[in-house]
Amino acid sequence: MSKTSAAPDHKSKEAYFTATQGQLIWARFKRNKSAMAGLVVLATLILSGLFAPFLTPYDPTVAGRDMSYLNGAPQIPRMWDENGFSWRPFVYTTKRTRSIKTNFRWVTVVDKKARRYLTFLPKGDPYKLFGMHLRTHLFGVDKGKIHLFGTDAAGKDIFSRTFHAINTSLAVGTIGVFLAFVLALIIGGISGFYGGITDSVLQMLTDSIRTVPAIPLFMALAAFVPPEWSAEARFFFISTILGLIGWPTLARRVRTHLLTERNQDYVLAARLSGASAAHIIRRHLLPSFTSYIIVDLVISFPYMVLSETALSFIGLGLKDPVNSLGVMLQNVTKADVLLNYQWYFIPVIFFIVLVLAFVFVGDGLRDAADPYSDNKS
Amino acid sequence: MYQFTRFVAMRAVMAMLTLIIVSFIVFSLMEMVPGDCAERYLAFKNTQGSMISIADIEAERIRLGLDKPFMVRWLVWIWHAFQGDFGESCILRLNISQLLSDKFLISLGIALAALVLAYLIALPVGIISATSKSKVLNNTLRLVSYLGLALPNFLLALMIMLFSTVVYGNSLTGLFSPQMRDAPWSWDKAMDFLGHAWLPVFILGWSATAFAIQTVRALMSDEVGKLYVTAAKARGISGWRLLRRYPARHALGPIINSLGFDLNRIFNELPVVALILTLTEAGSLLIEALARSNDQQLAGAIIFLLTGSIVALNFATDVLLAIVDPRVRHSIMGGGK
Repeated sequence: MSKTSAAPDHKSKEAYFTATQGQLIWARFKRNKSAMAGLVVLATLILSGLFAPFLTPYDPTVAGRDMSYLNGAPQIPRMWDENGFSWRPFVYTTKRTRSIKTNFRWVTVVDKKARRYLTFLPKGDPYKLFGMHLRTHLFGVDKGKIHLFGTDAAGKDIFSRTFHAINTSLAVGTIGVFLAFVLALIIGGISGFYGGITDSVLQMLTDSIRTVPAIPLFMALAAFVPPEWSAEARFFFISTILGLIGWPTLARRVRTHLLTERNQDYVLAARLSGASAAHIIRRHLLPSFTSYIIVDLVISFPYMVLSETALSFIGLGLKDPVNSLGVMLQNVTKADVLLNYQWYFIPVIFFIVLVLAFVFVGDGLRDAADPYSDNKS
Repeated sequence: MYQFTRFVAMRAVMAMLTLIIVSFIVFSLMEMVPGDCAERYLAFKNTQGSMISIADIEAERIRLGLDKPFMVRWLVWIWHAFQGDFGESCILRLNISQLLSDKFLISLGIALAALVLAYLIALPVGIISATSKSKVLNNTLRLVSYLGLALPNFLLALMIMLFSTVVYGNSLTGLFSPQMRDAPWSWDKAMDFLGHAWLPVFILGWSATAFAIQTVRALMSDEVGKLYVTAAKARGISGWRLLRRYPARHALGPIINSLGFDLNRIFNELPVVALILTLTEAGSLLIEALARSNDQQLAGAIIFLLTGSIVALNFATDVLLAIVDPRVRHSIMGGGK
C-alpha cells in the first residue's frame, strides 16, 4: 500500500473511533437508500403539515366552503386548451344551474371561456400560524376558487383538508407516542430494575392488556366521550387514550433491556457508590439504550396514526371541524360517493405515503442503531 | 407424563388469571359509563308513555342487583361469564348469549380462516424468499410487507369496494344474499355464506399475511446459514427435502408461538372491516353497541369473548408447542436437570 492512500485511510479510521454514537448511527443511516428516501418524504410531509394553513388556499372548515361547487370534481390547472395558450396556468369557471333541460336537477356546468388564473401569494381566509395572524396563502385564483382535489358534500376544499389532516395526525401521534413512552418508561423501568415479584405482577398486567385487541378497547374507551364536548377536548381525549393503551409493547422492551443491563458491572459500581435507584435508572441505564427507544418510538408512530384513523372513521374518534383522515373518510362507504365522487379517496394516498415513510425511516434507524449491523450479511 | 400434566395445568391457570384480569378491565369499563342499566331502561320506558318515579328506578336497581358493591357485581358477572351467560343487554332487553352465539361463531370462523390463509401463503413464500438470492423477489416481498402495515385492512377494504363499484358496479358487501339472510342454516345457506365470506377472509388475512411473510423469512434466513444445515447438505440432502426436514422445523416453534398475536391483530381490525363490508357478525355488533346504542353490556361481552378466544389460542399453541417441539418438551420433562 502506498503512503498517499494510507494517510486518509488512517484519518478516516481515527474519525471512526472517535465518532460519537449519534455520528455513527447517522453514517450508517445515510448509506441506506430507501431509509434516506423515506426521510426526505417524511420531512416534506411534516413540513407541509406544519405549514398547511399557508400552503393550502382555503380554510379547511365550513368557514372556507365553496357554496357554488359542492361535491365538485378536482380541477387541474392547465396552460392551454382549444381557446389558446396562456403563460399563467388557469382553471375553468363552473356554475351550478338547473332548468327544464336538466330535469330540474342541479348540475355543474363548465364554462371554458371564463378562465380563472392562478395567483401567487394572494390574500385569503385568515389563519393563525406560530402565533401570527396571517392572510397570505401560497396560491389561489383571481376569481372564485380553485379545488385541486375537488370538494366534499359541504363544499369544503379536499386539498386544504388533506394537509390540515396530516398536521392533526402528526399531533395525535406525537401526544399518543409521548404518553405511551412515559408510561412505558415508568412501568417497564420499575419492572426491569426491581425484578422478582414486582416484575412478575407487572408483567402479568402488561401481558393481559396486550391480549385485548387494541382497537375494540380504544372503541370502548372512546365511547365515554360525552357528545357535547368540543372538538378540541375530544382531540386531547383521543390522543390520551391512544397513549394509555399503546404502552405495553414498549414497556416490555424497556424491561427486557433493563433486566440484562442491571447485572452489569457499571450498575454495581454505581450502587456501591451509594447512588439511589432513580439516579441509576436515569443516569446510567436509560442512556444505555436511548437509540433503541428512539427507534421504537418511530416504529410505533404509524400505529397511533392508523388507530386514530380507524376510530374517527367509525365515528368514535375526532369530529368535524378537526380534520383527520378518519374524519374525511367518514362518509365514503355510501354508494353515491363510491360511484360518483371518487376524489374523496385522494387523501388516502397521502396517508399511505406518510405511513410508508415512517416505516422506512424506522427500519433504517433500527439497522443503523444496531452496532453489529456492519458485521451482518 | 406427570410433568406434562403439570405444565398444562400451569398454563391453564395462567390463562385463567389473564382472563380474570381482562374481565376486570372490561367490567370496570362497563361500569364507568355514566348512568346505569336501571336508569337507561326506565328512561326508555318513559319515552313509551309510562310514568316513572325515583322509587321505580330504585326498585329496578335492586332487581338487577345494581345496589351491591362493585367487587361483588364483578364476581357475579365473571362467574356467569365463564358459564357463557352475559346477562341481558340493557338496551335491547335480549339475552346477550342468544344474541351473540351465531354471530360470534361467524366472526371467529372468518378470523381463523384469515389466519389459516395467511400462513398458507406466508409459509411457502417466506421460505422461498429466505433461500432465494433473487433481488427482485426479495424487494417485491419487502414492499408487500411494508404495504401490509401502511395499507391496513380497513383501508384495503375501502379500496376494494371503490374498485369493485367502479369496475363491476357491485360493492361485494354483506355475508349473505338478501333472500338467505333470515333463513335457517341449511346447505344452500352455507354455500351462499362461503360465496360471500371469501372477501372478508382475504381482506382480514392481508395484514396478517404481510407480517407472517416477514416473520417466516426472518426466521428461515437465521436458520439456513447454520452449521447443521451445511452438515445435512454435505450428507447429500438438498432442495425442499432439506428445507422441510431441517431449518423449517426449527423455524416452526416461534411461528406457532406468535399465532395468538396474529389473531389479536385480525380481531383488531375486524370491527372496522365489518362495518365497511356490512358484515352481520359480532364485529359490527360491537360498533353498533359502542357508537350508536351505547350498550356497554353487549360491548363488554364481545370484547371479553374476543380476548377469550385469543387467550384460548395462546394456551392451545403453548401446549401444541410442548408436544411438537422436542426442545420445549425436554425442558418441561427434564425438570431442573
